[in-house]
Amino acid sequence: MRLLRFAAGRLAGMILVLLIVSILTYAVFYLLPADPAQLSCGKPCTPQRLADARAFMGYDAPWWRQYLDFLGGIFAGRSFGSGSAVVRCAAPCFGYSFRLDAPVSTLIASHIGVTFSLAAGAAVLWLVLGVSAGTVSAVRRGSLLDRTVMTASIAGVSAPAYLVGLLGILLFGFTLDMVPVGGYVPLAENPVQWAWHLILPWCVLAFLSAALYARLTRGQMLEILGEDYIRTARAKGLGERRVIGRHALRNVLVPVVTVFGMDLGGLLGGAVITERVFSMQGLGALLMDAVGNVDLPLLVGVTLFAAFLIVLANFAVDLLYGVLDPRISL
Amino acid sequence: MRRRSVTAVLAVTAALALTACNANATPTGSASSGTARKGGTLTILTSSSSVNLDPAKSQNLAITTLGLIFRRLTTWDIKPGQEGKVVGDLAQDAGTPSDGGKTWTYKLKPNLKYADGTPITAEDVKYGVERSFAPELSGGLGYHKTLLVGGADYKGPYQGKTLDSIEVPDAQTIVFKLSKPFGDWPWIVSMPAFTPVPKAKDDVAKYGQNPVASGPYQVESYQQGTALKLKRNTNWDAATDPVRTGGPDNITFQLGQESTVVAQRLIADSGDDRDAFGASFVPPAQLAQIQANASAKQRLVTSDPGALAYLAINTTRPGLTDVKVRQAINYAVDKKAFLVAAGGTLGGDYASTLITPGIAGRAQYDLYPTPDPSGDVAKAKTLLADAGHATGLKLSFAVENDPQSLAKAQAIQQGLARAGIEVTLKPLDSDSWFDFVTNDKGDYDLTLTSWQPDYPSANANIQPLFASSEIGGGGFNLSRYSNADVDAQIEQARAEIDATAAQKQWQQIDQRILTDAPIVPLIYTRNSFLHGSGVTDFFVAAFPAYPNYLQVSLR
Repeated sequence: MRLLRFAAGRLAGMILVLLIVSILTYAVFYLLPADPAQLSCGKPCTPQRLADARAFMGYDAPWWRQYLDFLGGIFAGRSFGSGSAVVRCAAPCFGYSFRLDAPVSTLIASHIGVTFSLAAGAAVLWLVLGVSAGTVSAVRRGSLLDRTVMTASIAGVSAPAYLVGLLGILLFGFTLDMVPVGGYVPLAENPVQWAWHLILPWCVLAFLSAALYARLTRGQMLEILGEDYIRTARAKGLGERRVIGRHALRNVLVPVVTVFGMDLGGLLGGAVITERVFSMQGLGALLMDAVGNVDLPLLVGVTLFAAFLIVLANFAVDLLYGVLDPRISL
Repeated sequence: MRRRSVTAVLAVTAALALTACNANATPTGSASSGTARKGGTLTILTSSSSVNLDPAKSQNLAITTLGLIFRRLTTWDIKPGQEGKVVGDLAQDAGTPSDGGKTWTYKLKPNLKYADGTPITAEDVKYGVERSFAPELSGGLGYHKTLLVGGADYKGPYQGKTLDSIEVPDAQTIVFKLSKPFGDWPWIVSMPAFTPVPKAKDDVAKYGQNPVASGPYQVESYQQGTALKLKRNTNWDAATDPVRTGGPDNITFQLGQESTVVAQRLIADSGDDRDAFGASFVPPAQLAQIQANASAKQRLVTSDPGALAYLAINTTRPGLTDVKVRQAINYAVDKKAFLVAAGGTLGGDYASTLITPGIAGRAQYDLYPTPDPSGDVAKAKTLLADAGHATGLKLSFAVENDPQSLAKAQAIQQGLARAGIEVTLKPLDSDSWFDFVTNDKGDYDLTLTSWQPDYPSANANIQPLFASSEIGGGGFNLSRYSNADVDAQIEQARAEIDATAAQKQWQQIDQRILTDAPIVPLIYTRNSFLHGSGVTDFFVAAFPAYPNYLQVSLR
């Protein structure tokens, strides 16, 4: 019952956040100097043609009216144009991209596989790598291993994704010819090729993110190792592996999971730069495409979806707290 | 208007984005050819993540993607070292004018077929043009929309109305009635909207993904962001086609490719990439890398000098209304420094005319000759003194805030400073810059841009940049140059249907405008492209400075 109440409260909060994000996206978009109707008007663009294009796409109404039409479309669907050329976007319609001739939800669905594949593998890698490296560093504090891990993690935290990606491609793709230099093969089509094409982007993302987790885990672990209950556990005669793995790590994971939730949510919304370097068309590439072409429906749709994923990931993290630390009640 | 300009500006910005270390390199030639064979799969690597194949929505050049799938009434015959020519494509010739150039008649070649084997008819061409008027399908090249009688009010065929100024007396003949004589009409009917579209197959939301092919290739599959795959159209008859060679059996466009990685793949030249070429300009860092790599250098193709990069002088601003000041600016500019900032000889060649190389009727002249390309500062100072600015002049300079544009603007700034003209740069992001220089206010003295016309005609070179109808409101007359005589001459030349006579008139207009010095022609830009070792018949002419996809084959 308590969990249900918690879930309902969070759901309401999520919807509110998404509403605010969508309003802000609309508002910001209309402050831009670029006019989407003019971009779609063709050339030469006479005032009459511009007005016709604007009316067809629904950009002739004030922004709040367009926003309400957008919200209405989610429940009732929308149609654009008239006569035999009417373009339909069935409910739930999260917008229609005139440039790509497709409903935004269809476009998101066709790009999500890439992003999920990229994010899932990278997240597993960086979590495992980061937490184990951080733990080992903390346990062997001051050792050569500790110093090496911490130096490497500084490089990881501070390196630009674009540079690491390109260097990775140059080294492992071109020079050593070990992995493909880009592209994506769907999991359903060929699982081996799927993993083969993703291994380098996974490693690049993991290198960039694991560093943060290693540092976070190390700091947290050092603090916890000084706690009374750890001393008690050791005094009871528990083995070091059990002390670290069972008692310390569990508490270390609470802040790690918090950061992980946000990172994963962000990554699911699109790893813009990594996708670009590896010529992968995920949500990040779709978002960049929308920004570059002033494609408002696509921009709002992808932004909202990315926000939804972040909110959802945070919700999952909140649920996980209870599992990791029974003292935290929901 | 806007998209063209933004595209043109982006294209040339990228073209000029060459590093200074290439300043002394020489172009490696404009063509790469060898023994071609029929068959194989050609791969085209492009940074675009989507391709809209609906001819009504397209602004594609006649020699690129859509040209592989569709034929139009006329098309472009583009070869390096030769001026672009318009030739019959579906039509037997470039058109027969009557009624003083207000009526144009085209006869289709016999036995032309779509990929599904059905005959291509004049009625389909008419329907294709009509649907380009629909607001649902806006976005394409639409010069015909204001020229055809009744075009201004026509909203497409989807409400059951037809456009009566397009007549189809029989299945092989199509007649266009224009509201005024227009000598460039043969170029207009080479645009994507003049592709035949069978009415029965039309579906506004879907046609762009699965159109009916009339060219050598048809769509096999299309996945937005990933690939467009084309396969041979067996009903295309090479004997009827003057410009397409249809070499490869299949063509795959790999979409959304990062241009640096594309260049690296083509430099490496291994596996399937041997049969590939990059559709984007080679990035600056890779251009330098290619110079040091003999194999890649052989496969780098640099265009002849083409699109005009120029400094627009706002003729409506205080001080700049005086022609002597504008002429002084022409003398003071350091074109040599500008060319270095633009990447040296791989970036372009010095310019002095409005009509660009590769366009029929161009005459070479230089109204503001200087001892060497770095300018004539003494002459500039004398002219400024004559105009009452002996103590100097202060000007504002709107420029896009990307590093390449800024470097070029600084080269101009320093050149003008030598003559006592103090220039303040006003950097703006690309969209803001466009709005700033094309709005009705025109609150700037100088700006830097470039222009590649939509079709290879002097008209497309001059009218959009200097007709007074193109000032503000999104128009690209950035000098805000308004001269009633020139406007009248432009209208007269546009109406001239005799190509030779028209070219002579355009030459006069070119010089007449530059006498008023509303711009400083800086350079004719070059673009560089890279291809794999299996690719042949790959060339880039002066106009358009893009590879001619229609003739590329594999060895």
